[in-house]
Formats: sequence, C-alpha cells, structure tokens
Amino acid sequence: MRHNGKTAETLIIAKHQEALHRGFLTWPGLAYDRPPAMGDARWTADLILATWIQAETGRPPDNGLEYQVGCSGGGFDALTFKFLPGEQWIPEQEAIDTSISLNRRPYDRKIEIPVPWYGAGMSFGSISEQIMQARAIAARQWGTFTCTGEGGYPESLVPYREHVITQVATGMFGVREETILWAPIIEFKYAQGAKPGLGGHLLGDKTTASVAKMRESVPWVSLFSPFPFHSVYSVEDHKKHIDWVKTINPNALVSVKVSTPTDVDMVAVGSYYAGAHIIQVDGGYGGTGAAPEIAKKNIAMPIELAIPKVHRFLVQEGIRGEVVLMASGGIRTADDIAKIIALGADGCVLGTTELVALGCTRCSNCERGRGCPFGLTTTDPHLSQLVDPNWGAERIGRLYASFQMQLRDILCRLGLRSVQELRGRMDLLNYRGEQGGHHGAGAIH
Amino acid sequence: MTMSDQILFSIDEAFEELSPAQLPDRHASDTSSPSSSTFHRYQIETQTTPDIVPYPSRFRVKVKKHGLIGLLLKELFEYKGNFQVALSRPCVYGVFSRAVGGLAPREELCVGCLRCTVQYPNIVQIHPNPELQRLGDTFVKPEYIDTIMYEARDGRVPVRGAGYRGLFGGEGWDGLWTDMSEIVRPTRDGIHGREFISSAVDIGEKPAFLRFDERGEVVGPVPTVITTQVPFLFDIPAYTTQTKLLLPILSEAARQIETLVIVPIQSVIELSLTGQHVVPLVAPESLSWLDRLSWSPSMFMLDGWDRECFDTLRRRYPDTITCVRVPMDTNLVELAQQGVRVFHLTANYHGYSGDQFVIDLILQAHQSLMDAGVREEVTLIGSGGIILAEHVPKAIICGLDAVALDVALAVALQARFSGECIDREMASLSFPRLNTDWGVQRLKNLAAAWRNQLLEVMGAMGMREVRRLRGEIGRCMFQKDLEWEIFAELGEEGSGT
Repeated sequence: MRHNGKTAETLIIAKHQEALHRGFLTWPGLAYDRPPAMGDARWTADLILATWIQAETGRPPDNGLEYQVGCSGGGFDALTFKFLPGEQWIPEQEAIDTSISLNRRPYDRKIEIPVPWYGAGMSFGSISEQIMQARAIAARQWGTFTCTGEGGYPESLVPYREHVITQVATGMFGVREETILWAPIIEFKYAQGAKPGLGGHLLGDKTTASVAKMRESVPWVSLFSPFPFHSVYSVEDHKKHIDWVKTINPNALVSVKVSTPTDVDMVAVGSYYAGAHIIQVDGGYGGTGAAPEIAKKNIAMPIELAIPKVHRFLVQEGIRGEVVLMASGGIRTADDIAKIIALGADGCVLGTTELVALGCTRCSNCERGRGCPFGLTTTDPHLSQLVDPNWGAERIGRLYASFQMQLRDILCRLGLRSVQELRGRMDLLNYRGEQGGHHGAGAIH
Repeated sequence: MTMSDQILFSIDEAFEELSPAQLPDRHASDTSSPSSSTFHRYQIETQTTPDIVPYPSRFRVKVKKHGLIGLLLKELFEYKGNFQVALSRPCVYGVFSRAVGGLAPREELCVGCLRCTVQYPNIVQIHPNPELQRLGDTFVKPEYIDTIMYEARDGRVPVRGAGYRGLFGGEGWDGLWTDMSEIVRPTRDGIHGREFISSAVDIGEKPAFLRFDERGEVVGPVPTVITTQVPFLFDIPAYTTQTKLLLPILSEAARQIETLVIVPIQSVIELSLTGQHVVPLVAPESLSWLDRLSWSPSMFMLDGWDRECFDTLRRRYPDTITCVRVPMDTNLVELAQQGVRVFHLTANYHGYSGDQFVIDLILQAHQSLMDAGVREEVTLIGSGGIILAEHVPKAIICGLDAVALDVALAVALQARFSGECIDREMASLSFPRLNTDWGVQRLKNLAAAWRNQLLEVMGAMGMREVRRLRGEIGRCMFQKDLEWEIFAELGEEGSGT
C-alpha cells in the first residue's frame, strides 16, 4: 500500500527515524529523568545523554548532566586538572591552537589536523556503510580522518579518500593496490585493545552478501582476522611491511596500531625504528565490535596507564620528538582527550564516542542477530537505513565542535596556548585511584 | 615402519596427554575414553541445556497501555489506515511480537537496547529487573551469576559488543590484568582452531631429580602424578548440599571432563562412587571408613594436617597420592619438610583466609616454596573466591597449579543463595530438583566455556601450556603497581594551585 506515493517500507523507516530523532532530543532534556536501564560504570547514562546533546547542539549540556567523567573509579575518572587561578587564564580573545601534526619525522608528507583526534577503524560489516559515510563526511568537513577498519573500502568512501585511512590487518580484507594508493595514511593493525592478541572476528550473522562481497568471502560465515601477522616476528619484518606499502604509495604516512601489553613501550620503540610515523596505542577498555568479555576486562592494560609508559620511554630513548603517539580505547569526552594528552599522547582516536553521538545506547548487542537496532553496528539492509549519512555527519561534526570548545577551555584554564604544549604535562594532573588508590579517598566530582 | 607411520606415531605422541595408566577412570567401561593407540584431541562436548527453573529476565518492560492504544489510533489516522506502518514496532528482538504487541510484552526477550523507550519515552520504559539484582551475595554479584548461567546453559564464551562496561580495576581479582604479546607464535585453539594449547596439569609428587643405577635404570623416587585435562577440580560442596543427587552429578561430570572431584569418604562409600577421578576426603575421625573402601583411589585428600593420619594413608596406600587440605595461610614449608607434596589451600567462598585475599596468599605460598627450593616438587591446588573463568588463569599466574571450584558449580546448577554464602560450613544454598543428565551437561558446558576462555587468555600471551603459566607473575600486571609507577608523582586533588 502506498501513502503519498511512498511504499510501506519507506514509511516505516521514516516513522522510526523520526521517532528516534525525537527521542535523542527528548531524553537529554530530562523530561523523563534518565532511562533507568541506561549506562554503566564507564559510560554512565549522563555521559550518553550528554553526548547526544553535544551532537545536537555543538555545546556541552547546561542542565546538570555530567559530561566530563564516568564512575569507573579510576583512570580518567580519577584524574583532575590543576587549573590556574582565574586571573592567570589565557584571555578569551587570544586564539588557542588545537591542531597537531601527524608526521614529526623530518621527511615525508606533512599532514596537520585542526583537532587532536581522528576516527577509529571500524570495518564495513562491524558498522554499516551509512555510518562509514557519515564519519567520512564529518572527517572531510573537519579536515581530519576516519579509518576503514579491516573490512574493505566501499566505493561510497572514494570521494572522501583524502580523509580516509586504509587499514591493513591480518585478514587483508579489502587490501588492494588502489586502496593503498588512495590512502594518505595507511594503518597496520597489529592488535586491538578490546581483544588483544585474539585477532578480529566478524560473526556469521553479520556477514551479509554485501559484506562477503567486499571481503571476497562467502555470506553467513564467521570471518577471522587471525592474530598475529605471520609475516612479522621482528622489527625487521615489521619494517618490511612498511617498506612494502611505501613502495606502492611513497606519499602515505604509516600508522601502527598496537595493544597494551606490559612491554608496550618496547613495542613502540620497535615501531619507530621500523619507520612508523604514527603509533596508535589501543587500550583494553575500548572497542566497538564484539569481543569476548574475558578479553575486554582482563587482557592488557588500560590506556591511561599505557600512554605515560610509552611517552616516558620514547623520551628516554631520545625519539619522542620524531613520532606521533595516538591513544585509543575508552576515550569518551573532551576531558578524556585533554587528560590523555597530558599523560603523553599527541592526540587520540575516537570510535565509540562517535557511535554514541549517532544514538548508540551502549547496550552491547552489536553482535546479536541482525545487529544494532539503531542501525549503527549492523549491515541489515533495513536497519542500516535508520541513519542518514548526512544527518550522522552533522551530529559527529557538532560533537567535534563541542569537544574543541571544551578542549580550548581546558587549555585556557591551564594557561596553555596550544594543545601541543599540553603533551606529557602530567604535572598538571591530580590522581585518585579507586577507593582512594595510593593518594587517599574522596569523591571524584 | 614407513616414513608416514613414523610421522603419525610422533604426532600421536605429541598430542596424547594421557598414558593408559594415567587415565582418569581405570575402572570405567566408557569406550569413548582415549587410548594410546588412537589420536585424542581433548575437547568437552557442549550442548544447549536450558534452565530447569525460570531465570529472571534481565529487564522489566513497563508499557502505558492507554498511551499505546492512543498512539496506535493516532498513527492509523496519520497513515490513513495503513496497518502495516502503524503497527510496525520498534523492537527487533520480538518483545512486542505477540498479536497484541506492547499490551503484553515478552520481557524474557528484552536485551535492554532501549530503542523502544528512546522512540516512545512517554509510553514504554525499560527497567533493570530487581529480581535479578537480588541474586547471589556481596561477593558473587548478580552479573557473575548471569555470566555463569550463560556459560552453563550454552557452553560458550560470553561475547558482547561495545567495549568494557565495568570499573577501572578494583579489589581482588579485578586489580590484576593479564599480559598479551604483540608478536607471538600462532597459539590459537579456540575460534581459529589452529595449534593445540594444552590445558592439562599434573597433580602429584615430583622429585627434584631422578637417580639411575649403572645400568641406566631409575632407582629411588619417581614422579607420581595424575594428569587432569583442565586445571580445575570440583571441590566438595557446601555441607548443606552434599546430597545423594548432587554428588553423583559432580562425580560423573568430573569423569567425563577428565578431572577430579573431591568427595567425603563417607559419601564415597554410601553412594558407591568409584573411579580414579574420585578423591576421597578423609579426616582423622573418618579414617575408619577406609576399611570399607574396596578400591584404590589415585589420590586421597586429608582434611587438615594430622601426622598420624598422613602416615596411615601413605602406609596403607603407598601408590596413592596424598594431598593435604589446609587453610591458605598455613606454613607450607614446614609441612613440605615433613613429606607433604600435594596441598589443597583453602580460603572461604569470598576468597579470604583471615583478613587476606587469595591473591596475596597464593603469591606468599608460592614464594615460600620457591625460597625453600621445593616448589618444583610440590603441587598447589587452591580454592575459595574463584567464581569466574578469568580467575583461573589469574590464580595460576599467582602460583597455583590448579584450582578447585565450589560456588561456581552450584550456580551452574541453579542453586539459590540464602543470605551470605561465605564458607562451606555456613553456606545456605538450595538447589532445584536435580536431574543427573541435566546437571552433568550443565557442568560440562561450564567447564568447556571456562577452558575456552583459558585458551583465549593463553593464546593472547602466546603460551602453549597452562603448566608453564604457573607462577609467571611477569605475565600479569597489578593495578596497584602500575598506578604507583605511573601516577606516584602526581599530586592529590586540592594540591594544585
């Protein structure tokens, strides 16, 4: 049956889209208080709703929602800034620079991004093509990047290729000569924080015909990116990988994504000597796709502990100035971004945060059946239509604007004129661990 | 022998974990047991085994019925009587899939995605089910029970999306992360099914060295060990639950899994439990029951240290291993000097012995034996506070050879807690009406899920054998140490200008 010339399917999608958009506006207004079943220790209901507000307005909430920290009892949630007295803040009229360079080597292409973050690798299959497009549009608007993840390079991303990082991982899904050639940055994924040492895993239910085609596989079978790269057992092997992609695309920068084992500092130094421009350290508490619960919680250390370790070691080795250190895995807010930079990163990589901006409630059912009921982490042809790429790009863009505004405010209160001045300034932080940690007890905020 | 024969023979030897003499049940007539003549790659058979008593749904779905009817009428009008559009429902999991839709939601299908409430906050609200929140006690949290139930029901590794949801770290096991290796050998047996990772452990007496005579024959003590295929045993259940229904379930499951079950000797006799997987627990006051034992177990467990009792067991059963069950804070070196080589260290169900948590106690026990130079000769089994799969590798990293499971087994069999379940003597657990086949399969499912998770952890480290994990504290990271290392120089809040 048609209604105003539209099919029932179109009407159903439009009906639910409209209702969802209304809900993203209504809930953060707290007319119904917080959804009782929403949130967890890391992403509280307040943080989720606050992210929705920022994606809608481009500003942090002013209705009492907590938008800076969660209640995990440690890490980012126990770090606070040592702000200067008001009279020492940077005057409002002075510009505060939030840009960072993604190449600190004296050679190769110079790439600068206006904000100290870019989008994390999330593959086609783990997320829908619409979401990939939304992220790419936002990345282009903001002059930063998004990443393909390891699931192929959909045609719809090609127009944005100057802002798309091609990921190369062990399954080599979608790795072709042209996808290497298109990329301004190529990312080798050696490990990921949510399932360190376990490789990637796309469950059979999500391997639809289009996903299978993109990955040159068959539909409805589980697809693994086995861990590790069997061609890499040393720094020399690692360098061969980098030489290989540089031979195909000499203009590309190379990023290396690693997890956070106890010797993550040594791994970072190895990657530097292999020729990487960017080292992305992915902490255990992030991740957007399906992962064994035992891995997420227990294997490898959180990013808040890994970044200072790596930063210090790179400084001791005298090579900190030549490598870009990006942090990922559990960075949720503008405060987290500032904190991880103060702990030693140059910038960070956002994944889950962008999905929350698009309506993710963090229900953790990404892997189940048809995938995300909000049309985010799904390749279901009907569900994925719930997100219009342009609508999504606007929301991500407004979240970026809010984060940039807050980051500038933090820098202003710390008396810093550039985000680059914040890097490694642990002296500007206080820490209280869980139950007070080693520095005594007290409320977090 | 042809070349291909030789290759086959060597592969068989490499993977065969048990010699015929070490098979868990020499007396059983189970023809499926492995033998040295056939290749046996260890695995635990899983099978979906639904709950026998209803398990609370995770969420409550509260729908304002008048509001819903009003919405339907409004949409019918808006879409000009197009039922397909007006009746299309937000839930993709079938919560509103009955003919009357939201008027009678199917709560058991709700996964808490919140899409319905996001779309229609004025009509539907999703609440965590308070009944679920009441399960367990202060140590065994509702989410632990949820995890164990899933594992026992399906035998699968719990997998979820969207990253970690819990606290940064915490007390006890949560303050410990295991390591991984960026570049490791491809040690994956789980989902990738490549190389074999052994989860087998040896329990028994292992002399520091062998002595040989001039003809090359071994003289003097030789290793006497039982190899279990998983590093977890089944401990004796709480006193109130040692029923004639429960113990045979534990025994049969242990036999099929190829591990050990600890059972009071009286129950062994009364229930006619036999097999090398059964470890009779003997106390000084129950020593006389030995007279009624018609078979020779592979291991006895002595409940508490008693020199006389220990000597009696050794004298009467010279080929049987004698394990001594003592509190975890016992001075083990003293007992090792008196000849004890296998210990079962116990803490209460919340993981405490005295005021110390098991992690510290295991580390101390392991270290004390290392300092005395006898660690390699001794086997340490530990129990108490081990309630999740991740606790097994963590306990082994801290120094145990194997763990013994207690409350987790009861939860898998849908036991209900009554008050705090602190120790074996006081714990009040009530089971549903147990069925042997159901119970055995639930425990097998749990064991399979835990073993697969152990393989995940070891695969991430690039380790091939759980035996090698014992005491490898370099394979873990303590939150306390890392926070000290990283944040020690930072100030406390309020110390800034």
